[in-house]
Amino acid sequence: MSDAQQPDDTTAHTDHEEHDTEGPGYATPQAAIEESEPEAVAYVMGLYVGTDVDAPDFLGVVDVDPDSETYTEIIDRVEMPNRGDELHHFGWNACSSSCHAEGLERRHLVIPGQRSSRIHVVDTKNRRNPELESVIEPEEVFEHDLSAPHTTHCIPDGQILISMLGDADGDLPGGFLALDENFEVDGRWESPGEIEMNYDYWYQPRHNVMVSSEWAAPKTYYPGFDLDDVEAGNYGQRLHVWDWENRTVEQTLDLGEEGLIPLEVRFLHSPEATHGYVGAAMSSNIFHFYDSGGEWRAEKVIDVEAREHDGWDMPVPGLVTDLLVSMDDRYLFFSNWLHGDVRMYDVSDPANPRLADRIWAGGHFGDPAPVQDRELAGGPQMLQLSLDGERLYWTTSLFSSWDNQFYPEEAEQGSVMLKADVDPRNGSMRLDEEFLVDFGDLPDGPARAHEIRWPDGDCTSDVWQ
Amino acid sequence: MWRDGQDGSDEREEHEERLSVAGNETVLAAAERAGVALPFGCRTGACATCTGQLLDGRIEHARPPRALKERHREAGYVLLCIAEPRSDCRIAVGADVQAELVSNPWR
Repeated sequence: MSDAQQPDDTTAHTDHEEHDTEGPGYATPQAAIEESEPEAVAYVMGLYVGTDVDAPDFLGVVDVDPDSETYTEIIDRVEMPNRGDELHHFGWNACSSSCHAEGLERRHLVIPGQRSSRIHVVDTKNRRNPELESVIEPEEVFEHDLSAPHTTHCIPDGQILISMLGDADGDLPGGFLALDENFEVDGRWESPGEIEMNYDYWYQPRHNVMVSSEWAAPKTYYPGFDLDDVEAGNYGQRLHVWDWENRTVEQTLDLGEEGLIPLEVRFLHSPEATHGYVGAAMSSNIFHFYDSGGEWRAEKVIDVEAREHDGWDMPVPGLVTDLLVSMDDRYLFFSNWLHGDVRMYDVSDPANPRLADRIWAGGHFGDPAPVQDRELAGGPQMLQLSLDGERLYWTTSLFSSWDNQFYPEEAEQGSVMLKADVDPRNGSMRLDEEFLVDFGDLPDGPARAHEIRWPDGDCTSDVWQ
Repeated sequence: MWRDGQDGSDEREEHEERLSVAGNETVLAAAERAGVALPFGCRTGACATCTGQLLDGRIEHARPPRALKERHREAGYVLLCIAEPRSDCRIAVGADVQAELVSNPWR
């Protein structure tokens, strides 16, 4: 037996002290891979907004422990106190960026309502039965002339930062809202006027940098996708490179027509890395952004070709709606929500991704019922990867009004959560046909499902100082 | 108020509810008071989740209906979270009415 295989916990504890990590999370990305247990529950956003089901959105707790009797079941639902929120993305009160902050725990989920601008805090002390702890009402958010909360990251020392896509009227400009360690509104993070459009962001503190992306004004994207708005320039195509400490935009990168609607932003996990990726949903391209000696650049590195669809008027874009980087920074995964494939790229050379494997599941071009004869009525969308990089999960809903346009059946059938087994050594994936979480089969009626998180951190939460 | 069906068919199902709306009360607020569940989201006129279609009568929006484009307003679409009736109204409501605002542009 090697030292690394010591079964007692003294080794882990000693490691902890050596790395001076008394707070939440892991000392390094590699430590997250080594020290984490396989995920046993998943937290998943469940939605009824925009349907005729008379019920609030909920935080779903999904049993993902293969040894459990309730494996693949939704074992608990934490209902929000109001209808109409559109739960969408969510985040932790603390992650590995607070690794040195003694006393902080990764325990509270911050769950914004994308439409309501209401922000919920859920205590996950009991992982299988979390409880709603507090609520920030929309009026407290509108006071800061912000609305439409999207991405929630903890920032070092207990604060929470949320990207806000609109002003109090659902128009531009958006900005950022900071919460304090008691989950109360601290105020607007930046000075107004730094940006117009906003969407996702990621920060890399060792390089004093944050990169934010652009969707559109809430009043533009909320009602649904209108091609006229793209032609009118109402959708984004730029990345903003921020001075993280000063909270100012230092550089704006215009991605042009190839970079329309840049959504999820993912830096590599290594705190040393100055490379990241963003998916341009509309143009269906992946851009690699990087620091080229004091100046940031973005270049298209993956181009998803639009495809002809029988009986449709125009070639259909893949619509790259989500992407993530494995904890070891070796693989990039992304979803083509309209086409129906999930792709895995080797990014060991970050500027030259190499297609390693892909899975077709649903969408408008994939197998409509690839798992247990369940009609999917949607495409692969929000992704989450286990910390060890061996299990990739995804859900199928994008946004209630956009779902209605592109997958109208999803409202009646509900979303699903699927899983693929990943072999990182061989760069391959296999759809797990035993795994199906059906959000169509719930007491209040079929629900949509969106973002996924694990209790002990994941590939789209954790940042290292 | 004319209730749209939940069956996903193109035909709007004729299920009718009658509501009395107080002066300067929105249709959504009156519906909630009467225990009639309508879809809604932002409650400020930005998101269109509560879209209805005015079939008869007059309404005024208490705030600008930012979520509706001119073509939507001309076709009688209204936002029930900010719509105040100014006469007796017949309004088609429900999630399928919202879905009429936009279609799949590639199809």
